[in-house]
Amino acid sequence: MKFDEFELIYKNDHKEIKNKAKSESKLAEILGKQNVSTEPIDIFAYTKDSTLIAFNWTLQGKIASLPDIITWPETVEQISEILKYANKEKIPVIPYAEGSGVVGGALAIRGGIILDMKKFNKVIEINDKDLTVTAQTGINGMNLERFLNDKGYTTGHIPQSLYTSSLGGWIAHRAAGQFSTKYGKIEDIVMGMEIVLPQGDIINFKPIARASTGPQFDKLFIGGEGTLGIVTKATLKIWPYPEKRTLISYAFPTFEDSLEATRQILRQQIYPAVMRIYDADETFRHFGHLEKAKDKVMVVFVCEGIGRLVDLEEQITKETCEKNNGIECGEEPVEHWFETRFKVTDTSSTPTFQMVFDTIEIGFLWDKAADMYHSVIETTKKVKGIVMITAHVSHFYPNGVGFYFTFAGVPPKEKTDLEFYQEVWDTVIKTVEDCGGSFGHHHGVGINRSKWMPVEWGKSFDTLKSIKKLLDPNNILNPGKIYENPWEERGEN
Amino acid sequence: MAEILKKYKWMGPIIQKMDRDTKKVFMKSFRMRDKNFFPEGDYKADVKNLVNCMLCPNMCRFDCGTLQASQKETMSPAYKARIGYYLTIGKIDYNDSEFVNLMYKCTNEENCKVWCPFGFSVVSLLETVRDDINAKGYMPDYCKEQVKKLKDSNTIEGYNIFETYKENGIENIETDGNDDVFYYLGCESMKFPEVIKANMNILKKAGIKFSTNLDSKVCCGGPLFNIRDLTTAKDFAEKNKSLIESTGAKIIVSDCPGCVLTLTKRYEGLGIKIDKKIIHIVEYIKKLLDEGKIKPTKNISDDLKKVTIHDPCLIARNMEDTSSIRDILGKIPGLELVEPRFNKEDVHCCGWSGTAHWVDRDLAIKEASIRVSELKDTGAEVFVSACPLCELGLAYGLKEDEKEKIKIKDVSELLIKVL
Repeated sequence: MKFDEFELIYKNDHKEIKNKAKSESKLAEILGKQNVSTEPIDIFAYTKDSTLIAFNWTLQGKIASLPDIITWPETVEQISEILKYANKEKIPVIPYAEGSGVVGGALAIRGGIILDMKKFNKVIEINDKDLTVTAQTGINGMNLERFLNDKGYTTGHIPQSLYTSSLGGWIAHRAAGQFSTKYGKIEDIVMGMEIVLPQGDIINFKPIARASTGPQFDKLFIGGEGTLGIVTKATLKIWPYPEKRTLISYAFPTFEDSLEATRQILRQQIYPAVMRIYDADETFRHFGHLEKAKDKVMVVFVCEGIGRLVDLEEQITKETCEKNNGIECGEEPVEHWFETRFKVTDTSSTPTFQMVFDTIEIGFLWDKAADMYHSVIETTKKVKGIVMITAHVSHFYPNGVGFYFTFAGVPPKEKTDLEFYQEVWDTVIKTVEDCGGSFGHHHGVGINRSKWMPVEWGKSFDTLKSIKKLLDPNNILNPGKIYENPWEERGEN
Repeated sequence: MAEILKKYKWMGPIIQKMDRDTKKVFMKSFRMRDKNFFPEGDYKADVKNLVNCMLCPNMCRFDCGTLQASQKETMSPAYKARIGYYLTIGKIDYNDSEFVNLMYKCTNEENCKVWCPFGFSVVSLLETVRDDINAKGYMPDYCKEQVKKLKDSNTIEGYNIFETYKENGIENIETDGNDDVFYYLGCESMKFPEVIKANMNILKKAGIKFSTNLDSKVCCGGPLFNIRDLTTAKDFAEKNKSLIESTGAKIIVSDCPGCVLTLTKRYEGLGIKIDKKIIHIVEYIKKLLDEGKIKPTKNISDDLKKVTIHDPCLIARNMEDTSSIRDILGKIPGLELVEPRFNKEDVHCCGWSGTAHWVDRDLAIKEASIRVSELKDTGAEVFVSACPLCELGLAYGLKEDEKEKIKIKDVSELLIKVL
């Protein structure tokens, strides 16, 4: 196996670690031989994540990154020892679990040691009275959720990546599930954590409902993307599995009508678990088979929980939609959404047409949300080669929303796939920032958003960088992201 | 192509709005799609679906037995497909034995098919890659060894395991050409003489005229379909067709789900049809119970009272029969069945199916141990199944200190005790 056969995308800052055999041998002392590998069959498996452009690269026989050593720790103490060793030798360490990240967060763009968390896959405890579950963070999302479902609970955190992502990945990237209007984002769900800091110290934030014990330091590590520490265990809120679920859908004449209806629903303190607005183009794509949805904006709702409350939520949701010109479309569109939400066949087919596509989610307050949406659509349409830019509103809060833009394009001759991809990303994010929004809602920063960190954070970014330097003076944990701009050091595609 | 056009109907207006240059590049990519990524070549691999699988974000990963057993990305389904694709298009050399070996690290349980957005199983793709591995002369040694055993001894054991019936006290009933039923024993079933005796006694108690023909019995050839040596598999199919037809029986019952699959769907794939009703013995026993031809009369003994069930994946998912075993257990007086997590069509593999246990025995044992621990979680110390490979796999999954405590039983062994 020759890795040279596979073009390396992030190659400019890639360095093979010195004296790999010595490191492998030291890591084997810590982990046991069976939990360390430099075999090409293993290394090659960790050369990509689920960033959508990585699927194009895979098809074209390219690899995004090239780690040097793969490790599979089984205890928190082993992780601590790995990090101590990595600090001594100044070797990058990149946490990895299910590889479902879509912004390059788990790519070893500077080589180094992959720390695969998959063996941290145990559910430790469910506490019925406290309504909590404590689990190791390498556990797959579906395996955690179905374990809870069997016992009569849910976390309510159901992302589209449920089958393919891990608890640790959710925490690292400050993820959101599709039922977040009712259950919250992961930062609302996590109550306690065990973390290994970059220099190997093991710290704990005990689970607590609310506290007044100084700054809320634990939040720093939710969204740390493996740069500030490795979360090894977490305690989450859980809920009794909902006894009733009601499916509602309405078609609206305009995007503005749909936004107004959903805003008013939340203002009345009604929280359907799922709310999704599809702009006219996405309505045509997903609900084109429905006559009532023709040239309209489709909105789907799922209300769930205790029967009597659900009935009330249904009543108010329907009244508010109708007051805002909504036309009731029944359960079928929501059933269609349930049936197709995990059908990710486009990730497989689009690259074969040599199209570049991706999704970009952003956060925005209610006030100028519609203006921002139109601005993003208009500015992105001007990028040469773009053939599609659409959106749905995927997450709803009393004070704002999360938008989910989808774009597809054919890179013009003078641009590589990556250059075209970057141009679209930069266009969307610049527009969102210009309009006063936040550049990301739940996929994280990773590689794709790093260059925009100074704009998003302003002066507070310097403080964040100082914290990073304090915790990780040798910059060994997941280097090249968030605090730096990996797209400046990109290789040719 | 028509299917693609229908699926991407919404793309129509988008294509119309494209500027001239973009449209030109797009249409060229559309036309060149097959040539670029699915080129015609000297291979049998299902390249289109390998691409579909390798470009999927691994939607089945959480239920893939080998991935869950190893907890290594190396074992993820999409990665296996990626390696299969690169082997096929020559990006990875067939001489790289570890990459070739990965094409065999699957337990054929087909859990992946349940979750696949495209509706296929990963093993169905890997088998097409194995076809090319064989055609190019790179069949791994562990596969060659199985083929040799089958050719030399007509069974998977390297010696004629059917001949052991004498030393194990199993009665052999040669056909007189006029049987109601032919009891088709699997090679692996021969390792469980008590199960065979139980099945034969059940058939006898029901007054069924049947034969076993152990003196001329051969393997069904199932392993050859996993290895993809279809030429040798065809020889076995011919031998079995002739043996089965010589019995005159209209119903063929087997104690091995793998044999049932091979004698039916797999032979038919080779163009060989055995025109008989071929079923797993649990389906037949259930019928005998329903018809009152056998009647449980005693209570099950205390040591076998509380049981859990391991559904053989081929019976549950391939034959779509999850009721026969339960119906039989339900008619055993005094028996308490505790269902495990991952039962019926959601069952997790015993680790001993497919080719994984040849290429990576530790991986298969780990998968078996995971299943054992799921069964143990029920609190039952009797594991009931209906497949010799499952019963073998589960036994490998037991820890040393569990071997005396936990009993692995075939459903027939329990039933015969109460008849």
